[in-house]
Amino acid sequence: MTVASQRLTASGVGSSSRPRRRLTAPGLPWILPALVLSVGLIYYCIAYTGYISTLNWDGASPDKISVGAQNYLNIARDPIFWRAIWHTVAFFVVTFVVQTVLGVVFAVIMHSRIRLAVLYKVVVFVPVVLAPAIMAPVFRQIFAADGQLNWLLAHVGLGFLAQPWIGQESTALPVIMVITIWQWTGLTFVLYYAAMSQIDQSLLEAARIDGAGNLRTLVSIIWPSLRGTTVALAILGAIGALKTFDVPWLVTIAGPNNATQFLGTYIYQMTIQLAHVGYGAALSIVLLVIALAMAIVLQLVGREDGGGRAGRAARRREREGR
Amino acid sequence: MFEVRRWWSKGILQLVATLLVLPYLLPLVAMVQGSFQGDGWGNYRDVLQVPGFFRFFVNSAVIAAGVIVIVYVVTMLASYGFAKLHIRAREVYFWLLLACLTLPEVVLLTPLFTTTQTVGLFNTYWAVILPLAALQVPFAVLLTRNFINGLPDEMFEAARVDGANSVRGFLYLVIPLTRPIAAAVLIFTLIGAWNDYLMPLVFLQSQDMQTITLVPQFFVGEFSNDQTKILASAVLTAIPEVVAYLCLQGLFERGLSAGAIK
Repeated sequence: MTVASQRLTASGVGSSSRPRRRLTAPGLPWILPALVLSVGLIYYCIAYTGYISTLNWDGASPDKISVGAQNYLNIARDPIFWRAIWHTVAFFVVTFVVQTVLGVVFAVIMHSRIRLAVLYKVVVFVPVVLAPAIMAPVFRQIFAADGQLNWLLAHVGLGFLAQPWIGQESTALPVIMVITIWQWTGLTFVLYYAAMSQIDQSLLEAARIDGAGNLRTLVSIIWPSLRGTTVALAILGAIGALKTFDVPWLVTIAGPNNATQFLGTYIYQMTIQLAHVGYGAALSIVLLVIALAMAIVLQLVGREDGGGRAGRAARRREREGR
Repeated sequence: MFEVRRWWSKGILQLVATLLVLPYLLPLVAMVQGSFQGDGWGNYRDVLQVPGFFRFFVNSAVIAAGVIVIVYVVTMLASYGFAKLHIRAREVYFWLLLACLTLPEVVLLTPLFTTTQTVGLFNTYWAVILPLAALQVPFAVLLTRNFINGLPDEMFEAARVDGANSVRGFLYLVIPLTRPIAAAVLIFTLIGAWNDYLMPLVFLQSQDMQTITLVPQFFVGEFSNDQTKILASAVLTAIPEVVAYLCLQGLFERGLSAGAIK
């Protein structure tokens, strides 16, 4: 994303003439606090985690047994780990696709001069600012066997669909997805809404004169020009999926029977509850590697096809517009 | 975007919009409605009468304020350094910082747990403030550095020619000119700190230190799973966030979208 434009400016500065360089004050003292705080604390933690991941340790006892790479070998054979990975992938794909569709639809509708648009916008965005931890009991209640969802189904004549949503394996993960979608659509919507204001109106008019209907305009003009936003949201969603903890932990306690187990919840269970600190640390390192790899891959993919220059220019306009 | 001229297509669009928005409203309605079941306002009275209920708010406010101050100061200094001052191997430092962006906070648990206990920070505000700030800074620097990069070099040179050193350049140019991006940084730092659950859960063990995200859990113990009072406490803890959002709508939306367009 901007990292690309950053590099451009960076090389620009690098090639600047010498006398100007001498005029510029040394910047190291200025960035030092940030480096000490973030890089210092975080890399210290990563290194420490890396060390612990080679141990068999309960976190408290003085005897730490070094087991080399055994924890990592165990992870590779751990069915719960692979289930957590599978849940993360499914979770990302579903939430990303649904949120993107809903976000674009909302943005298009709100741009189309309907009544009460401001009110609708507030309703869709409020979930974004509410803490998942606070909303969790509400959702436990809604999806409970005697909760509002089943009540609603019964009252619209769909009572046969009623089921214990969070209590059974087949529906627990979809419930987590629904809650996440409820929470984050507002952000997707606001981003697409802003991106759509940047679309050249004359382009849309020209398309209309050429006989393009609403749907055709959406598919051929609006959607392609939102590419930069979509890539940003994909990266954010992927990292968010890997970080997932609050909702599955508080709504379904990663259950039933690991049906909503994610890497975050599994690490928490291992480290804090079961005191398999070494194993938890190894899982953390695996999670970290996956997150980094994912960010790099998405970054490259996003830059490659088509997005390139036009996308960056659009994003730059977007930033300046704000 | 869409052109709707005929009255019936306008009506259909309005209907579609309403049907799509309704599901977003329902959980909030369920929350408020559930909180009034049984004793009605009595649920709220009981929750408010629990000794130390306001401690949760105070603790959350202290932590959020601490994180915001640290992130703001550190970010401004670093972004100015990265954007306008001379640093050898600057991009190396920058990438070291950026790599932290992808870090899930759960990775920090064990090392922070043992370290805070050894240095005596366990169960203090610092045990939550420092890691949260450390996790927020990389992103804040990324945004702010971009913003400062966009400020013309000539302005800083002119200031230098007029005899201003880098400290004065910072105080009189960077601080006032970065206000728009600082507002965005402020909002997403606030939301990140206020809504965080994992750090307080692990590092703040004694009850008078806990934050509002731990309130539902606290009341599960306090009222032995009386759902209506738990929902009342959820409503009370959600109110400050909703009010803050309604008052600063534009700022929130800009701030959080700045958080997404990297």
